Amino acid sequence: MHEFSLATQIMESVLEFAQAQGAGEVLKVRLRVGELACVEEEQLRFCFHSITRETVMEKAELEIEPCAAVVHCLHCNYEGPPKYWEGAIAGTLVPTLQCPRCSRGADAVKGHEFEIKSVQFIHSTPSHSTA
Amino acid sequence: MTTTTTTIPTIQASPEEIYDIELEHSLLEANAKLAKENRAVLDRRGITAIDFMGAIGSGKTTLISRLVEKLKPKIGVAVFNGDASVSTDYDKVAGQDVPVVQIATVNGCHLDANLVGKALKKIDLGKTGLIFIENIGNLICPAEFPLGSKARVVVVSVTEGPYMVKKHPHMFLGAEIVVINKTDLAEAMGVSIEELTRDVHTLNPAIKVIPVSCKTRAGVEEVASALLAI
Repeated sequence: MHEFSLATQIMESVLEFAQAQGAGEVLKVRLRVGELACVEEEQLRFCFHSITRETVMEKAELEIEPCAAVVHCLHCNYEGPPKYWEGAIAGTLVPTLQCPRCSRGADAVKGHEFEIKSVQFIHSTPSHSTA
Repeated sequence: MTTTTTTIPTIQASPEEIYDIELEHSLLEANAKLAKENRAVLDRRGITAIDFMGAIGSGKTTLISRLVEKLKPKIGVAVFNGDASVSTDYDKVAGQDVPVVQIATVNGCHLDANLVGKALKKIDLGKTGLIFIENIGNLICPAEFPLGSKARVVVVSVTEGPYMVKKHPHMFLGAEIVVINKTDLAEAMGVSIEELTRDVHTLNPAIKVIPVSCKTRAGVEEVASALLAI
């Protein structure tokens, strides 16, 4: 359950950013999450909304943009989508590091992203200065 | 309050105006940067660090203990024990007369490069050639948090059942060596080591898989040689 610590990191970064920008209310946080980043979206959303209560980002929408994995094979120079494991018992597709072309070991060049892409906010108004 | 901002040219945003600002801020970057720093410290001194990952009870500590026994006469070994709170693993390895640092994550579910960097300051690096870092017993989280180690070992054991690898595919994508432990119990468990090996290679053909029984010490020598060759 590292989604909690990831959500904490998102919150800290966004709050710091929001303060520097003089944001009154954060409306939306856009994330870019790689296919190989090991992040469970539902859990992340739950943690995010739980910990941001009573902050300027408590009503913020969390938008998650998935980022597809790309592998590169040093043996046959293939670069593209990974081979997926059909025999896996997980509910979702399981990407592998097996080269789809030559079946040898490939490296992941994309898919480990876990980034805050952008933040949407409105400025604070002088009359709206609740704690 | 006196105002000092009058001399600074400022563009005042109109209230309620919506801003959308690109941040492009990587949340894993801070850890990745510290991991690189750890690695640089180690490389400069010719020290190899190995990260051990695996479920609770898979035999990480026992394997490390066996490896220490084997490698201590050849090379200066130190051990970092990551644990949420207890020190039983620390006590086990500390009895072997090698430097041991307990890294308590309290409620954290994985070690991070910052904690490992702090642990590096607690040992005499001049007398160290090899560091074993035992990660928290968790098969999902540590995968995305590099520590600065040169190689990652995943310890699975046959007592975790036949679907161990299929259930936790992520952990194997970033590892160099997989130790299948408790092979002495494979028959009793009805678990096929060949099948577990095949699953690992389906995910990542570049991984070296070594069947081991920490109890009988079968395969421990092979792990030790593989680590020295890294």
